[in-house]
Amino acid sequence: MGRYDFRALRVRQNAKALVDSKRNPALPLWYNIVGDIPPSETLARPVLRAPRPKGNSKPSRMFQPLPIVYPEDRLRKDFFGDHPWELARPRIILEDSGNDAKGYDWSRIEQPGKPLDGESVVQRQLWLMQHEKLPKAQAYDKARREFYRHRHLEAVKRRVAKEEALSTGAYFGKGPLEVGMELEDQAFEHWRNWATQQIETEQANRAQMMSGPQNETQELSEGELDLAVEEVAESIPATNEGKSALGGAMLHP
Amino acid sequence: MIIRSVVWRQGRRAVAQKFWQPLRTFSSAVDSIDSSAQNSLKQLHSLEAQINAAAPTATPVASIDPETATTAQSAVSESLADQYHRFKARESELGDLGTEISPHYQPNTLLNNPPSPADVTLELLLASEAHQGHATSLWNPANARYIHGIRQGIHIISLETTAAHLRRAAKVVQEVSRRGGIVLFVGTRPGQERAVVKAAELSKGYHLFERWIPGSITNGQQILGRCKTKVVNEKDEEVQGFEEQLFDRAALRPDLVVCLNPLENYVLLHECALNNIPTIGVIDTNADPTWVTYPIPANDDSLRCIQVIAGVLGRAGEQGSKQRLAAAEKGVITFPPARNLRLPEEPEAEAEAPKRESEALGRLLDGAEAISSHIKPELFSTSKSDHSLHNADDLGDMLDETNNHETNRRIKQVV
Repeated sequence: MGRYDFRALRVRQNAKALVDSKRNPALPLWYNIVGDIPPSETLARPVLRAPRPKGNSKPSRMFQPLPIVYPEDRLRKDFFGDHPWELARPRIILEDSGNDAKGYDWSRIEQPGKPLDGESVVQRQLWLMQHEKLPKAQAYDKARREFYRHRHLEAVKRRVAKEEALSTGAYFGKGPLEVGMELEDQAFEHWRNWATQQIETEQANRAQMMSGPQNETQELSEGELDLAVEEVAESIPATNEGKSALGGAMLHP
Repeated sequence: MIIRSVVWRQGRRAVAQKFWQPLRTFSSAVDSIDSSAQNSLKQLHSLEAQINAAAPTATPVASIDPETATTAQSAVSESLADQYHRFKARESELGDLGTEISPHYQPNTLLNNPPSPADVTLELLLASEAHQGHATSLWNPANARYIHGIRQGIHIISLETTAAHLRRAAKVVQEVSRRGGIVLFVGTRPGQERAVVKAAELSKGYHLFERWIPGSITNGQQILGRCKTKVVNEKDEEVQGFEEQLFDRAALRPDLVVCLNPLENYVLLHECALNNIPTIGVIDTNADPTWVTYPIPANDDSLRCIQVIAGVLGRAGEQGSKQRLAAAEKGVITFPPARNLRLPEEPEAEAEAPKRESEALGRLLDGAEAISSHIKPELFSTSKSDHSLHNADDLGDMLDETNNHETNRRIKQVV
């Protein structure tokens, strides 16, 4: 076994060999088919770029595919560099038949069946550069202005359509901001209820603390006072026994 | 339709509103309001009259059957006809408003009506994203000759190569199914089920959309031994009476395996290679083309692309099986006889006809049990004496024999 397993590619030769060595009684039914329609050549690497050895270095990357570059690429980079939010607009990239781009005529920026987007500007700019022989910057300016104008018209159309619809009784429901504000209001109300409850319980606790049973802090009776004084008297700091007892029953009842 | 009627309704309403608008401006003077209201009403009526005049509603409409129709029925039909004519008038006025949707991509058409090999165009492959490979770091350098270039960090598969390989694979499927071979379509990725089943349906082949049980070929007797087998004749009609012979017969193997996701089915492809079964596989830029006999370089991650490829191969198989059945109608049998299968016939019939051989061809079907492979051998009966005359294919082989020494032995083996 080498690095590659060519058994899949050599099914015909193997079938023949098996029949020749009488392992198999007959050739499979696909034997002639695979002979007539042979598998294509595999593992052949076409030379994709001319070797350019520098000095004594060996030619490298000769068999690696080359990048595909189009003249629009730079224009696209410029436009989307200047208008990065154009990339945030939703866009349909599904192809209908694969011939979608063949029906476009870039002598005007609007195309039937294609929404206006940054790609329109790029294609229009390229068309202006190729057909009207405008310099790049000028073509960019022209295409850009047309784009802005159509975007403005679109906004106007949208507004007018909305007004018309409203005038004939349409109801569009709540907008995202209204929905957001409602949710925020709900959250605030919830918090307010919670906070009111907290304040009430806190106040109740405090009131209970103030008006609770007072007899917990007991006054020392005469006898107890005497005892305590005696305890303290025993631990006078001057003596050895008194040093450990800091304070006493009277100080910490 | 709905949009048009809405436009008409709203338009009429808007017109009516327009006439009533002066009310607001002259609200101070009561009589002026009255007069303007009257005016606008008149205008409205005149407009309606115009519309009615424009429509051919003025013509009296006869009922469907004036003799039998009662008065009430005729009134109803008149109003219906009236409405119809008004609708027609409206249509002629406003019919060209609105947009027209040009033919567009419908995902179900690739499954319900798949393209045939003749319909394979570079545009179709492009639209189905067959050209998109994987990131350049994931490539298998063995695929260098299928790759057109690098775009945005991924390899772009050359669509000319894809189309050429797809047509070649379609030809193989067609020929194998014309020769009555067992074609197994395998696509085990989620979403590929319908495409695989449709391809198998079209080509009268077999499908697998769940897991390939390892050893179904190399250890077929253990895994598929219990599966049902049947014998069919050249017109695909089942022939009874072979049950005892089929009982201890080896499990059938496919003659051609079409694998739509080779990366997940290495075991299957390896078993096919071990058992000398040709395979067709969709090879993306990260797959190894030596795993399959006939690679189709394409994007195996796009369901649309897989549907196109499976559909094309299924259509090719359909053509092949149609050719086989058409030949069978003419009495020409395009597949070789089965081995070790005897017709369970009466002795006198066997005596008068030369010994007849039958061919068993198998059919792997998805069923309730383990791997779910039913096997459907096909019966082939031809007399041994004038074998080559009855069988056009063998006639061709005889011609081949004169040209090609390689086939010489094969003919002898068959006969």
